[in-house]
Amino acid sequence: MRIQVSRELLDRQLVDVDGRLVGKVDDVEFALGADGVPYLRTLLSGPGALGLRVGGRLGRMLVLTAERFVTDRPMAPLRIPYALVTRVDSAVWLRVRAEDLGTSPVEEWLRRNLIDRIPGAGRAGG
Amino acid sequence: MRKLLAATLGILSAVGGFVDIGDLVAAGQAGARFGMAHTWVLLLGVVAICAYAEMAGRIAAVTGRAVFDLIRERLGARVALLNLIASYLVTVITLAAELGGVALALRLATGVPYLLWVPVAGLAVWLVLWRMRFQLMERVFGLAGLALVVFAVALWWLPTDWAALGRGVVLPTEAGQGWGAYWFIAVALFASTVSPYEVFFFSSGGVEERWSKADLADARFSVLVGFPIGGFLALSLIATATVVLRPAGVTVSSLEQVAHPVVLAFGAAGLAVAALAFFAVTFGAALETGLSAAYAAAQYFGWQWGKRVSPREAARFHTVLLVSVLLGVLLLLTTIDPVTLTEYMLIISAVALPLTYLPILVVANDRTYLGDRVNGRALNLLGAVILLVILAAAIAAVPLAIGTRMGE
Repeated sequence: MRIQVSRELLDRQLVDVDGRLVGKVDDVEFALGADGVPYLRTLLSGPGALGLRVGGRLGRMLVLTAERFVTDRPMAPLRIPYALVTRVDSAVWLRVRAEDLGTSPVEEWLRRNLIDRIPGAGRAGG
Repeated sequence: MRKLLAATLGILSAVGGFVDIGDLVAAGQAGARFGMAHTWVLLLGVVAICAYAEMAGRIAAVTGRAVFDLIRERLGARVALLNLIASYLVTVITLAAELGGVALALRLATGVPYLLWVPVAGLAVWLVLWRMRFQLMERVFGLAGLALVVFAVALWWLPTDWAALGRGVVLPTEAGQGWGAYWFIAVALFASTVSPYEVFFFSSGGVEERWSKADLADARFSVLVGFPIGGFLALSLIATATVVLRPAGVTVSSLEQVAHPVVLAFGAAGLAVAALAFFAVTFGAALETGLSAAYAAAQYFGWQWGKRVSPREAARFHTVLLVSVLLGVLLLLTTIDPVTLTEYMLIISAVALPLTYLPILVVANDRTYLGDRVNGRALNLLGAVILLVILAAAIAAVPLAIGTRMGE
């Protein structure tokens, strides 16, 4: 598969095998293969990776805001091996379920401390 | 029959999505001060929102991506984040203005001071967003919003000089109020017609309902009928203000004054219908602006969003929703006058318009997204002309606001 990383991969929506929205491709990581040719190894997703790419004061503020919700800092981004990608079009489709990738710490914190405490949080509005 | 029903429901949603507190205030002020002289602005606004809603809907149906996804993909992470911050602020200020409109409508109906209604309105809006079947609510409010037609009926009931109205349409004048004020109102009215939340909302709805090409045709039909009906209702607000308020020299600074023509025509019954209509359009718009603020954030960051999943599965989305409604309520509790807030909201919206509309036009021409369903030549020409108007409005908004001291 031949793709342009900056045009067709970065900032695209990550979607899991059930159609759930996992996050954005906030950054990517390359590695050197045994033959010395670089290849795309990992997709990174999460405020830590996004903040670095946004850069400047704005990027730092973004990371600091997200870090208020976690205990272990610095905040590690979600790492998705590129081998898990099945298809890249207007979104990046993964062959795994979102649960198997691990939930975002911010999502988890807000779920536990705010949303789940409001009656009716478990039912979709439709 | 079933198809007709579906089409009607779609149109109701579109009407509900079009008219809001911005239209009530801007149309009332335009008519009371300049007569029919802003009719062309309203028509231009309706054409603009129809054209861009069609593009946003087509993009949503073909790619499954909503407007803010595209803004990030096209503008990059940093510029899109600045865009998100600006769009979020504008949308939350709009939400506050809509909540203020709900409170004012309730005051009109009950006589209880509006500030007491503000927390009630905020809670009610949040509850609907949390619990209710949104589509149903959207249609109920769209239907109730049609009660605005009472303004058009009042126009027939009152001794209207139709020839004079017609002359006002084709020969716009500044009516001794100064061209600065004329253009200030023109920018506000245009901004109220093409509010960015309308396209955020429309495209996100399309993604959530997983539009296919067939649904797209229906959605396009709803918009192309519903938005002009909304435009007609706004025009009847301008016309009644022209006939009743302008000769009396009233400048609109409250919803009572906007409702005054129907009270004159139909008495207490007229007031009741007008209050119901005001309530319906502002409440419906409050739902849409609240959702749009949360859609924008969720689509920028890639969070799970929408009403198909339970709130606990979209905790960040629902947190932003909750915080946005709270911010709207807090803004109103500073006792800022809701009509004044609406005027400021329209000027800030005007400045922010290109942030939403430029990326839509760019993506609607991108074959990597749309394949052969990119814009045709005629639509591109129209889109480009509209974008120039949007840019002009955005650049002129603040100088006009300062130069005329908010249109005085």
